[in-house]
Amino acid sequence: MKKHGVFEWFRFIDFSLIAITTLLVVYGNLMVYSATRSSQGDPFFYLKKQIIFTLLGILVAVGIALLNYNWFRHYMVPLYIGNIALLLLVLLIGLTTYGATRWISIGFFNLQPSELAKIILILTLSAVLADKKGNIGKISELFTVFAYVGLPLLLIVVQPDLGTGLVLVAITLGLLFISGLKWQHALLIFGIVVLVIFLIFQFNLLKEYQMSRLMVFFNSSADPLGAGYNLLQSKVAIGSGGFLGTGLFSGTQTGLKFLPVRHADFIFSVVGEELGFLGSSFLLGLYFILITRGLAIGASAGNLYGTLVAVGISSMWLFQVLVNVGMTMGIMPITGIPLPFFSYGGSSMLINFAGVGLLLNIYARRFK
Amino acid sequence: MVRFDDSIQKRLAIAGVIVIIAFGVLLGRLWTLQIIAGEKYFEMAESNRVRTVSISASRGVIYDRNGEILVNNRPSLVVTVIPSELKNKDVLLRLSELLDMVPNEIEEKLEDKKVDPLKPRTIKYDINEDTAVYIKEHSADFLGVEVKVEPVRNYSTSTVAAHVLGYLGEISEDEFEKMKDKDYKLGDLIGKSGTEKQYEEILCGVRGFQQLEVDASGKVIRILDENESVAGNNLQLTIDNNLQLATEKSLQEAIKAANKEGYKDANAGAALVMNPNTGEILAMASYPTFDPSLFTGGISSKQWAGLNDETSGFPLLNRTMMCSYAPGSVFKPITYLAGLMEGVISYNSTFNCTGKWTGMGESWARYCWKRSGHGQMNLSSGLSNSCDVVFYEIGYKLYKEKGEKLQKWAREFNLGSKTGIDLPSETKGRVPDKAWKKKFNENYPEYQAWMPGDTVNLAIGQGDLLTSPLQIASVYSAIANGGTVWKPHLGKNVLTAEGEEIHEFKKEKVLDIPVPKTIIEKLQKDLRRVIVDGTAKNAFAGFPIKVAGKTGTSQVKSKDDFAWFACYAPLDKPQYVVVVLIEQGGHGGSIAAPAARRILAAVHDIPSTGPVTVLDRSR
Repeated sequence: MKKHGVFEWFRFIDFSLIAITTLLVVYGNLMVYSATRSSQGDPFFYLKKQIIFTLLGILVAVGIALLNYNWFRHYMVPLYIGNIALLLLVLLIGLTTYGATRWISIGFFNLQPSELAKIILILTLSAVLADKKGNIGKISELFTVFAYVGLPLLLIVVQPDLGTGLVLVAITLGLLFISGLKWQHALLIFGIVVLVIFLIFQFNLLKEYQMSRLMVFFNSSADPLGAGYNLLQSKVAIGSGGFLGTGLFSGTQTGLKFLPVRHADFIFSVVGEELGFLGSSFLLGLYFILITRGLAIGASAGNLYGTLVAVGISSMWLFQVLVNVGMTMGIMPITGIPLPFFSYGGSSMLINFAGVGLLLNIYARRFK
Repeated sequence: MVRFDDSIQKRLAIAGVIVIIAFGVLLGRLWTLQIIAGEKYFEMAESNRVRTVSISASRGVIYDRNGEILVNNRPSLVVTVIPSELKNKDVLLRLSELLDMVPNEIEEKLEDKKVDPLKPRTIKYDINEDTAVYIKEHSADFLGVEVKVEPVRNYSTSTVAAHVLGYLGEISEDEFEKMKDKDYKLGDLIGKSGTEKQYEEILCGVRGFQQLEVDASGKVIRILDENESVAGNNLQLTIDNNLQLATEKSLQEAIKAANKEGYKDANAGAALVMNPNTGEILAMASYPTFDPSLFTGGISSKQWAGLNDETSGFPLLNRTMMCSYAPGSVFKPITYLAGLMEGVISYNSTFNCTGKWTGMGESWARYCWKRSGHGQMNLSSGLSNSCDVVFYEIGYKLYKEKGEKLQKWAREFNLGSKTGIDLPSETKGRVPDKAWKKKFNENYPEYQAWMPGDTVNLAIGQGDLLTSPLQIASVYSAIANGGTVWKPHLGKNVLTAEGEEIHEFKKEKVLDIPVPKTIIEKLQKDLRRVIVDGTAKNAFAGFPIKVAGKTGTSQVKSKDDFAWFACYAPLDKPQYVVVVLIEQGGHGGSIAAPAARRILAAVHDIPSTGPVTVLDRSR
């Protein structure tokens, strides 16, 4: 790299992405505080932890931005094996909460390897696809990809963490699309998905709570005090916000705990109630810019691997935003998928920052 | 920058379009929820967080005319249960054991589906303190169960004036629909009968409310708004508690006496005292009676069935004004006046009673109650001896010469119409005439024609004529006061909870009877003769107050005779009209008249109450 003036460095830094991310996390932290301030005990308990995760996330982003992302392509095999090992470890020594085993305790915080698996899948599958030069013309190649994704996916779904599993599927589809998935193959995949859904129902593979969530999705007034409760309360919270909202920290539905897990999966409802259409559409606008920015970085990437990684990250965010926000408004089934940079939770925050770090990295190396 | 082949760029562009569509969908949905349906959800959010708790107002106190308390409120320790929380069978069983109730009984009380499922239902009143303490100490074992203090009606003298006061009960769905514009809620207690029902609006007060902000678990966060309840107004009745007691006692004694006399089926009756100059009811008794405190806390279906079972004698009926009977000879004064007013007889007309009257022909012969005959009679002795032949004759003449004039005169006294007393469910009785008989026997053409015998029967207060004891009291009031029918009433004053008088019930005239004073005075004189040397002579022997009255013994098919007595006193300045009726009690002179005497004795503080019965077979 030739020596340029100090200002030359600016050309390597995507300030717009940094700005968007900053806005998102500040906004997100504020909303986490708003959603949790009325909890018993320290009203800042959740906010403090979330700030720590944010700061750690920034370190992760900076660290990853300073590496050369192309290294990940070379370390793809150990990454993949490490990923599988971690997921297996969850099943062996993981913590079980709410009937799911998703976390490994590592001292001050509980790591959620399924979150980590998302980013590892992006990095390794992109490598696989980049090797094929963005062409997956043969059906055998497609099945290789399925097998490749299938193993971590299976380990995640049995935790069970169906939501994260679906994110993996979304990432895979996004990457396959960019890699030139043939429409015949797309139809085949569609067929397989239909078959899988059919088998799931045929053999009653869904857990009861999953089934009732689905029923609620199709008929929101079913079981208003059970599975439909969250959805109804979420819609009440969002709807009651109107155009301007009830005001920050003034949401009664969230403040009075009508909405459970409002700081995690249902944080969008808090935004909707307290900041109304204005605040919610502003948030959606931020996500829109973040995701299109990811795609743009992918388009400008120095190599196919970079493009694929950027697209993978964008796919992950798009799917998570679509499903999470859609779920709070009743147009998506209720699945435990966090809202990037917003939902309370460490692993998710770190992974999203890792995504930002990778995008910055790809942007900085776009000239090569 | 590395250039990829066009297809990747194209696919990235398509990806961009997908992103735009996805966000378009989210934004559209957001718009629908917040802008289009925002108001609906805002209301739902409000109802989520705001609970309006009503605070029931304390009900007005009811006093007698002297300010003695007839009904007030007392605190009662009650157990309430929130139905939606009592799904746990264990709690139900524990509770039923503790409260000594059958689980079904508790479930019955919780069943009311229309009432808010979150509203606590009172399942038992007046639990003892130990039970209350036990429930409070073991609250964890009794989720959804609470012990509270609630005001309940307190009847100072158990069954006294039960029919006048009436009872409270939970508002029915029908009543709720009817009173939609008023501030009632399902589950509220309202007056179901008697004064409690009649003056519900005065007594009920205005409920207060608290608007509470609650969290998702229903825990109260803060009070948003509060409106204190306003206690109901107090009501003073025209009833005199002491006289009421005496009247009830006399009535019961009369029934007992009738039983002793051999009238085994005498088990019900009515008695009342009224001021003939104002229509004020001073005492009103009906037997059998009931204990209104049975209704405190909701009567069980078993108890309710008991009160409405034939074997109980229907104690909820106020026989003074809800039931009508053939008045028998107490009706004769009306025939007397009708005969004079219509000119079919004169005051000096003479009649010959041989015990049998054949005015309509031998085959339609009628008999006097005195089969041996009264001999030579005139109007005066006819009335004082209650000679049926005299009145057969008048009735027949009225029929033949004037058509339905006897009915007209009965109606001049407001018979066949409600007296208008301020109590619910009054009967209007019946004055039979041609049109009525035709309609009544719609399906029996052979019975439709009005026969001369019908008017003849009517003349002695028999046949299809029906009157309530209250109507008879109203008739005798008019006779006593010289011709005015006043509306009988129980309401005297309305007082605020602090005792300030805010309304006085004035006397209300129903009608003036178009009879000259001179003629009424003749009737009054002859009614006095009934007491002095007529059919009530024995009953009032030695009574120091001058009384005027009339005995009656009405015949009811396949039943023992009904005993009537109607009177007023003192003669010169009547202050009290007393009417007594004993169902199947035998003779008016022997059973009903002595009861009236004892009531009048109580009025005038006369210690010797006189005989319970006298030997008097007259009618």
